[in-house]
Amino acid sequence: MISWDLFGAWLCAAMVVWIYSFVYRDNVFYKVAEHMFVGTAAGYSIALALDSLNRVLISPAVRSPQTFLTTSWHYLIPAILGVLMFAKYSRKYYWLARYAVAINIAVGTGLALRTVPIANVVRQITATIVPLWGSDPVKVFNNWVLVLITLGGLTYFLFTIFPRRVEGARASPQHLVYRALYYIGIYGMMVGFGALFANTIMTRVGFLISIYLIYIQPQAWASIIAAVLAAIAIIVGILRKK
Amino acid sequence: MSGLSSLEKVLGSKELLYTLLLLSVILPILHPLGIPVEISQRTRDVYGYIEKNLRSGCRVYIEVYYEVAARGELEPNLIALTKHLFDKGCKIVYGSLGAFGVVAFSLFKSMASDLFEGKEYGRDYVYLGYIAGGEAASASLAKSIKGTISVDNYGNRLEDLPLMREVDKATDFDLVIIVSSGTDVFSYYVRQWHTPYGVPLLFAALSVIAPSIEPFVGAKQAVGMLVGQRSAAEYEVLVGRLGLGIASMDAQSTSHMLIVAFIIIGNAIYWGKRVSSKKGGSK
Repeated sequence: MISWDLFGAWLCAAMVVWIYSFVYRDNVFYKVAEHMFVGTAAGYSIALALDSLNRVLISPAVRSPQTFLTTSWHYLIPAILGVLMFAKYSRKYYWLARYAVAINIAVGTGLALRTVPIANVVRQITATIVPLWGSDPVKVFNNWVLVLITLGGLTYFLFTIFPRRVEGARASPQHLVYRALYYIGIYGMMVGFGALFANTIMTRVGFLISIYLIYIQPQAWASIIAAVLAAIAIIVGILRKK
Repeated sequence: MSGLSSLEKVLGSKELLYTLLLLSVILPILHPLGIPVEISQRTRDVYGYIEKNLRSGCRVYIEVYYEVAARGELEPNLIALTKHLFDKGCKIVYGSLGAFGVVAFSLFKSMASDLFEGKEYGRDYVYLGYIAGGEAASASLAKSIKGTISVDNYGNRLEDLPLMREVDKATDFDLVIIVSSGTDVFSYYVRQWHTPYGVPLLFAALSVIAPSIEPFVGAKQAVGMLVGQRSAAEYEVLVGRLGLGIASMDAQSTSHMLIVAFIIIGNAIYWGKRVSSKKGGSK
């Protein structure tokens, strides 16, 4: 008996294989899956945005206008600003959209600036002020690594003022300290990029595993067909390349 | 052509790598290897924080902000955390600053329907739905939820929901959990909820963005962080509800071993070719 659930599961399995077929090369199945995804996602986002507008503004205003005007009148301000955004499509009234954009940016900037100095600067600097001596050698080592790589990273990004080495002369102590921190900064960042890359792999593999676990694995025979199809596509790709 | 060059050509084929990757994911799922999962200190700390600081009747706000693609990494975390919070007798208000959060929440509820059995909507948990406005909306919610929106995701008036009569602003919550696939949302909550109101935050993030938000945890702006499927698997073991996280661990291990092997072989070939070219061999 074919149910909507079964049809949905097959469609999901097919979409996974079609998207994965991009590994071989760009093809019509990949394009179909890609366009279906983009179209569905865009349509769904618009529907959800309209639903939010309806829930918060239109429905309460229509259901009980008197209550809305006494308790939630302030919703009209963003509603008007939102409507002004559409003025962009008119050559004559294009300028009206600038008010909505300007207020949006101003509010965002104001809200962010209110706490950014504390949250993103002061607290981060405070977090690097750590004890460099103590009884726990692992903790002390970690603290040294933290402090040196922070200083090294900041030193690497000094673009204007740094001690230069005079040609033919011996390097000054300031220059040696600067170079040492500079290289610590480079290697610290390399380690950071490596960790980031490893985490990226973990996330992408995680996506693949979860898609497999959620959509394909319950139907073992569907999994086998999907794998066989993918293998055929790959073999055909290799043969055609040759 | 030298042996190293031939090997490089064979192993350099993306088709081979992706086929092996696919097999390394599929085979351990069809035939689980049962590689043991050791619980990390980071996950123990998060579990310990909730155990120690949250009492029956406490109120928790959870931001559900991830798209369907990120479901596999974040949904197991959300399920395990919800299980722990409900077991502790907490009441939960869910909300989403992204439109896709609505889909994520509905999928999460259908996947973890057992957790909501015996729980009454409006009294034990509430879903506010999508709240438009990004950081501005986050700041507004921290000040007053009912001043920001008047109805929940299903059109119920917030004043009619018993749980929403108990909570309205950031300081009414004992813990705020952000389950997000975007880096910005963590910053919103650090800037608009933690910095002005001192509300404790807990992060559940994708592995790929964990290094970006690690400084917030290091600076004690968040009480802890769960990272990807690995943390989810560990948390599932701790709360005693095994799910997608633990099921994916064998496949994660085998696929990572494959990638590590490719990185080692790739580097060995690179250095081998360099050495042979210095000795005057073929390039």
